[in-house]
Amino acid sequence: MSNPAEPPAHSDAIAQGQMPEDSIRVKIVGIGGAGTNAVDRLQLDNFGLGLRIAALNTDAQSLNSSPAPEKLLIGRSLTRGAGTGGELEVGRQAAEDDRDRIAKIFQGMDLVFIVAGLGGGTGSGAAPVVAQIASEAGCLVIAFVMLPFTTEGARRRQLAEQALGELRVQCDAVIPLPNDLLLQHLPEESTVLDAFGQADAWIGRAIRAISAILFHTGLINLDFATLRRTFTPRGGKTLFGLGQGAGENCVAEALHDLMLCPLLHTPELSRRADRLLVNIVGGPELSLARVNEIVAAIAEKFGSREQTVLGAVIDERLAGKLEICVVGATEVRAKQTSVASLRTAPSGLRADGPVTPNAPTIFAKPPAAAVPAVPPPVHTSKLRGTKDGGAAQNEFHFVGNDEQRGYFDSTDRNFFEGEDLDVPAYLRKGIKIEL
Amino acid sequence: MSKPQIVAAIDIGTSKVVVLIGEIFPGDRLNILGVGQASSLGVRKGDILDFMSACNGAHAALLMAEQNARTQAEVAFLAQSGAHLDGFAQRAEVNVSASDNKVRPIDVQRLLAEARKKELPTGRLAIHHIRNSFKLDGRAVADPQSQQGEKLELGFWTVTGDEAHLSNAIHLVNGYNGLEVKDIIVSSVSAANVVTPEMEKKIGALVLDIGSGVTDFALYRDGHIVQTGVVPVGGDHLTNDLSLGLRISRKHAERVKLSFGQAIVDAQARSEKVWMVGDKSVGDRYIPRLAICQILEARVEEMFSIVKKRLEHLGASLTPEDVAAGVILTGGTSRLPMIERVAERVFGLPARRATEPAWLTESLRGPEFSTAVGLLFFALNAPGRNDAKNSPPKGDGLLNQLTRWFGV
Repeated sequence: MSNPAEPPAHSDAIAQGQMPEDSIRVKIVGIGGAGTNAVDRLQLDNFGLGLRIAALNTDAQSLNSSPAPEKLLIGRSLTRGAGTGGELEVGRQAAEDDRDRIAKIFQGMDLVFIVAGLGGGTGSGAAPVVAQIASEAGCLVIAFVMLPFTTEGARRRQLAEQALGELRVQCDAVIPLPNDLLLQHLPEESTVLDAFGQADAWIGRAIRAISAILFHTGLINLDFATLRRTFTPRGGKTLFGLGQGAGENCVAEALHDLMLCPLLHTPELSRRADRLLVNIVGGPELSLARVNEIVAAIAEKFGSREQTVLGAVIDERLAGKLEICVVGATEVRAKQTSVASLRTAPSGLRADGPVTPNAPTIFAKPPAAAVPAVPPPVHTSKLRGTKDGGAAQNEFHFVGNDEQRGYFDSTDRNFFEGEDLDVPAYLRKGIKIEL
Repeated sequence: MSKPQIVAAIDIGTSKVVVLIGEIFPGDRLNILGVGQASSLGVRKGDILDFMSACNGAHAALLMAEQNARTQAEVAFLAQSGAHLDGFAQRAEVNVSASDNKVRPIDVQRLLAEARKKELPTGRLAIHHIRNSFKLDGRAVADPQSQQGEKLELGFWTVTGDEAHLSNAIHLVNGYNGLEVKDIIVSSVSAANVVTPEMEKKIGALVLDIGSGVTDFALYRDGHIVQTGVVPVGGDHLTNDLSLGLRISRKHAERVKLSFGQAIVDAQARSEKVWMVGDKSVGDRYIPRLAICQILEARVEEMFSIVKKRLEHLGASLTPEDVAAGVILTGGTSRLPMIERVAERVFGLPARRATEPAWLTESLRGPEFSTAVGLLFFALNAPGRNDAKNSPPKGDGLLNQLTRWFGV
């Protein structure tokens, strides 16, 4: 796997700021300490996508040191800018108090990436509210959330679980990055800071990959509407994976890399999707036959072919290389309706509504009702029964259909002292496995 | 001698169903006539998830056992495990009623009635009241009858289960030609009784039945089970950890676990590499054995520490004096090499794999069979049909008369 932090090779048009005015407007918002740090790094990496970056925190000191161009201190009257002390409710209230100011951040945006570390006060408490505000502003909301190390304790874990459930309802897609898992991809001697850095690097890579879907005109083009449709209805589990390959066997290599993508091996992320979007970025030699091969293999692995939407982009600079990005969603029973209905509201509402303080139709909801209870993790996926021989894909040593769906996915979670026993013990204990 | 009864002992596990058909001469002897096994589908962590699949597996095993035994089962004894099981300790005491302070049977009866009074939350049923030693005026006595004293005390370990789970399991067996479930025995109790010699029950032993889906444990003190429990972690978790950790399929993970698994990382494991599939097929790759053992060690160690924490939480003492016979491991997962060394490390007690009684035929001596064999044992010692004294009060349906008394 190549270093995810390396600058992208395919950021031509956007890098040079050639984006036409009417193109899709994207903003990345870091929430809380961890989220702010992550977007700072994106800013420093400056992979030149011309993305708008904003930081949002309850802690004035941390916010001051952030190089983000747009900064917002929330809950000033509540915390006096001193942070939440790990209290989820304080974080939530801080965001509720500043709804109008937060809504301004999302004005006119189409796609919003929310980056937050769950387990603390601001990230866990404010992120669901911020996501809701962004949704109400009509944005497509994709959240990247870092989950705490198991060693950080049961309380943080619990807060993170709760916030994750709330976020799933408020966002179009939630991509959790368990720190436990990312640590696995670091050398033995690396520090906790390295692991946090690893999460940031993955977020950068993922944001680039999704941006590539939208901003590059391809062999087979995918647009914003397709992306949005992939996540409708909302509230499902998200599937997200990245793979890279180079050289002669780049197809096999990229597929192999994709299979090893740590994000496809977490209990929090889905491994099968009801709706799947595959984007392939390759050099000029990328042939339709290869594209077909890849899609067949991926559809086999994650869902059925009928539900797979394909995109393919040619990038001259990627000669001999291949990048695959899969995004998908699995339906779960609980569906969010209140925000979805706002989506179809007239555009006037969309532009002005969120900023006007006296728009009672939208804001009349009390905070408790605005953030619905965590949806039960019950799958209503139609994929449950699908069983078909995937013999043709054996050469990529793909495994049978049911086999890699987390074995315990359909059972109740298995808690003991705040740890889910169905999650591999070595992950929770931070034991590094060398393959 | 009474007429023999044909009994089916049914253990619906997470990975397979084991059925033994036994010919029971109540209170006297038993002959094992047939064995049936089928892979168990629709069961995860000891709980039935998919009733139809579980039915198919159990009925296939029953059919096989009956054909093997060339006879039909008259009644069934059913083992029960799963995370829904729980337990609590309670004490009951009565003043000896007779004026000469001699303990009469009526005193013992009153004591047992006392234990029954404890109210359970709705939806919970008491499966067993396992009695511990009697105490007469504070001193332990094996049999208080006709002894003199004023106050008679008795400790119980009560095992409770979820009503829906239990009735589901009973329906499943009833679905096989209307086979009647005569009794339900908790797996931990059933297995522990078979693999623990009487002597070791007296000096104290901890029996762990590590299956595919769950680990059942039972702690013996002074010849009685004082605590039982279920930890919903088993061999499936080992496989799942390997599958996720090594990024291989469940099928391959299972093979790797059985062929190369080891619960401790040793010098040899550090340097070895093994083939994932081993048949030189495309896509096969080398896996460091170190990774396999690290993953397994982390899980096994955690599993034992959870059992330890659960026992200690309820106030059990695990000192080498109180559990002199140490830890006894049974169940399919106890076959994992070096697992006993992890148990020794975690519990600080001697640990060994269970040995089945010598009278069992070779083919039934695997740790997978302990629970089913244990069921036949209980069938052997179960109160006969006309044994009015010990039979539970009649209610409508089995669930109402489920509770079984041990050692009374």
